[in-house]
Amino acid sequence: MALQHQPAAQPVLVEDVSKRFGRMEVVSGLSFEVRAGEVLGFLGPNGAGKTTMMRMVLDIIRPDSGRIEVFGGRPGLAQQQRVGYLPEERGLYRDVTALDTLTYFGSLKGLSGGDARRRAVELLRDLGLGDSLHKKAGELSRGMHQKVQVIATVLHQPDLLILDEPFQGLDPVNAQLLRDLVVSQRDRGAAVVMSTHDMNEAQALCDRLLLIDHGRRVLYGSLAEIRRGYASGAVEVVGEALPTEPGQLRSVAAASALDGMMRYTLRDGASAGDLFRELAGAGVSVSRFEVAAPTLNEIFIRAVARA
Amino acid sequence: MTAASQPEQPRRSFLRLLAVVARRDYLRTVRRRGFIFGTAMLPAAMIGFTVLSTLFAPAMQPGPPPSLSVVNESAVAIRAPAGMQVALLDRAAAEAALGRGDITEFYVIPAGYPADPQVARVSGASSPPGIDQLQRHVAQEQALAVVLRASLVAGSSLPPSVGERLIHLFTILFVLSIFITSGYLLQSVTEEKENRVVEILLSSVPPGPLMAGKVLGLGAAGLTQVAIWVATALAALPLVVERVPALSGVSVSPTLLLLSFLFFVLGYLAYGAIFAAIGAIAPGTREAQQYSGFFGFFAVIPLIFAGAFFADPGSPLVVALALIPLTAPAAMLQLLAIAPEPPWLLMAASLVSLGTFALLATIGAARIFRATLLLYGSRPSISRIISAVTARG
Repeated sequence: MALQHQPAAQPVLVEDVSKRFGRMEVVSGLSFEVRAGEVLGFLGPNGAGKTTMMRMVLDIIRPDSGRIEVFGGRPGLAQQQRVGYLPEERGLYRDVTALDTLTYFGSLKGLSGGDARRRAVELLRDLGLGDSLHKKAGELSRGMHQKVQVIATVLHQPDLLILDEPFQGLDPVNAQLLRDLVVSQRDRGAAVVMSTHDMNEAQALCDRLLLIDHGRRVLYGSLAEIRRGYASGAVEVVGEALPTEPGQLRSVAAASALDGMMRYTLRDGASAGDLFRELAGAGVSVSRFEVAAPTLNEIFIRAVARA
Repeated sequence: MTAASQPEQPRRSFLRLLAVVARRDYLRTVRRRGFIFGTAMLPAAMIGFTVLSTLFAPAMQPGPPPSLSVVNESAVAIRAPAGMQVALLDRAAAEAALGRGDITEFYVIPAGYPADPQVARVSGASSPPGIDQLQRHVAQEQALAVVLRASLVAGSSLPPSVGERLIHLFTILFVLSIFITSGYLLQSVTEEKENRVVEILLSSVPPGPLMAGKVLGLGAAGLTQVAIWVATALAALPLVVERVPALSGVSVSPTLLLLSFLFFVLGYLAYGAIFAAIGAIAPGTREAQQYSGFFGFFAVIPLIFAGAFFADPGSPLVVALALIPLTAPAAMLQLLAIAPEPPWLLMAASLVSLGTFALLATIGAARIFRATLLLYGSRPSISRIISAVTARG
C-alpha cells in the first residue's frame, strides 16, 4: 500500500487553545509546540489542565477555541494512528491474554492483525514476558501489567508519544525501562510529550519544559533558558558564623544548611549583590559565595507561587 | 520508520477501524461461556422435549388424531385444523353409515350451537364400552373440542387460548433477545471503563467508529443467537406439533419473519444506543444495571396490556404503544402475530418513529460517550449530559 509520509510536519502545534467544563476554564489561551526528536516535559500542579490538554491533542475531547495541529492537520483519525498514548488511568482487559490485547491495540493503530501479533510477540519476549504470552491479564503481576501497557504505547512505532504521568506507580525496574524507552524513542526521531510530577525525571529526560497552572502557561523553554531566568534566586555560601534564619538577612526569603554550606533563597527583587553587601556588613567571614543554579523543583514552586 | 506510522485516508480508516472493533467485539462475545450456554439453552430444551416425549409418550400416545364423523345442524361453519380428519355428513347419511358398520359413532352439533352447547354422541353399540372404546371416546371428544373452538374463531386455526399464549411467549422471547443483545453493549462499555482501557481505545478510535463498531459487532452476536434460536424453533416445529395436536396449524410466514427482523434491528439500535450511553454515564456495573432496568420497563408495557391487543387491535392504546419508540418493537410484534394482514399504515408509522428515535439516540449516545466516558467513578451532572447531547458538531 503506497502511503504518504510527512516527516517535515510539526508533530504538535497548539495556538491559543481554551477549554471550559461548565463554569470552570480548564485550559486558557495555551500555546506551545512539540518538535520531532525532543522530549517536552509537561509540568503543573494537580488540576492544572495537563491531562485535558493532552486529550485535546489526541482528539479525545475538543477545544472550545484555538487551533491544534498534529502533523500538520487537525487531530483526527489519520493523526491518531501516528500517536502512542500512555494514559494516567490505564489498564488491560482482565480476561484476555496480553498477546490478544496487544494485537487488538496494534490493529486499531493501523497494523495488520499479523504484523501486530508478530511485533507484540517480539516486544513481549524482549521485555521478559515470553512465558506469559498466553496468560490472561488477570493472571499477570502489576509489574507485568505495566510492561504490557508500555508495549501497547510503542507497538506501532509512533511518531509522537504522549505519556501522562508515566512514572506513577512504576517499580524501579519498570521506571528504568521507561526511561530507556523515552530516550530511544527520542533518538529515533519521535517527539515525546511527558507530564510528570517527578522533577528529577523531568530534569533528566526533558529537552524543553512547559509549566502550566490553572490552564495558563507559566514557563516555557529549554531547561537552560528557564534556569537562566531563575538564576538569581539562590546563593550558596560557605563561611563562618553564617546567619541561619532568614529573618536575620533582609534580602533572604529562606535559608537552609546543606553539606557544610548555607543556601539562601533570595526575596523577589533582591539580588546576590544585596546579600553579599549584607553579609560583609555583618562582619561574617565568607570563603565561598556562588549564585546557585536553581533546581527544577525550586523553579516549579516559585513559578506556581508567583502565578 | 514503518508503514504502520504513516497516515491512511480518513474514510478508509473509519471503515477499517469500525470493522476491527466490530470483528473483535463479535468474536469476544460469541466465544464467552455465557453466550454459548445461553445460545444452546433453547435448542437443548427443544431436544430435551423431543427426547422426553419420545421416551415417555408411547404409553399415552393416542396416535394420529381420531377421525370424526359430524352432523352439523348449526349455522357455524365447521373448519378442521390441518392434520385432523373430519367427515361432515347429513343426518340420514350418518345413520346409514352407522347401520352398515362403516362408522361406530357420530356427533351431532345442535341447531342452536353455540348458544346450545349440548353436542350429542350417537353410537351403534348396545353393550357397555370397554377400556379401549372409552379411551377412543375421550380422544374424539378432545379433538372435537379443538375443531369447534377453531370453527368459532374466524380466520384462526388455533384455539384462542393457545394462540394468545404462543404470541405472548414469542413477544417475551423477542423483547428478551433485544435486551440480551443491548446488554452485551452495556457490558462491553462498562467493562472497558472499569478496566481503564477506554482511554487507550479513544486515543486510537474516535467515539463514532468505536460505538458504531460495537453496535455492529455486538448486534451481530445477538443476531447470531436469535438466528440459532429461530432456526431451531422452525426445525423443531413439526416435531413439536406432532406431539402437541393443539399446535397444529401454527406457521411462521416469511413476511412475519422479515418484519420481526426489522423491528428487532431497530429495537436493538434504540435500546443499544440508550444502553451504551448508560454504560458511559454510570460509575459502575451495578449502577449501569439499575439504570438499564428502568428502561426495561418500557419494553414490557405492551405485554402488560396484551389483553387490549386481542380485544381490539385498533384501540387508541394499541396504536399509541405501536407509535411510542420504546414500546413499538413488542407492540408491533404482537400486532403482526394477531392480525390476519399486517396493518401496513400503522406499521410504516411505527417503523418511522422507531427508526428516527434509533438514529437520534445513536447520535446522542456517541456525544455522551465522548463527553462522559472518561469520568471514572463519578456520575456526570444532568446539565453536562444535556450539553453533550445538544452540542454542535
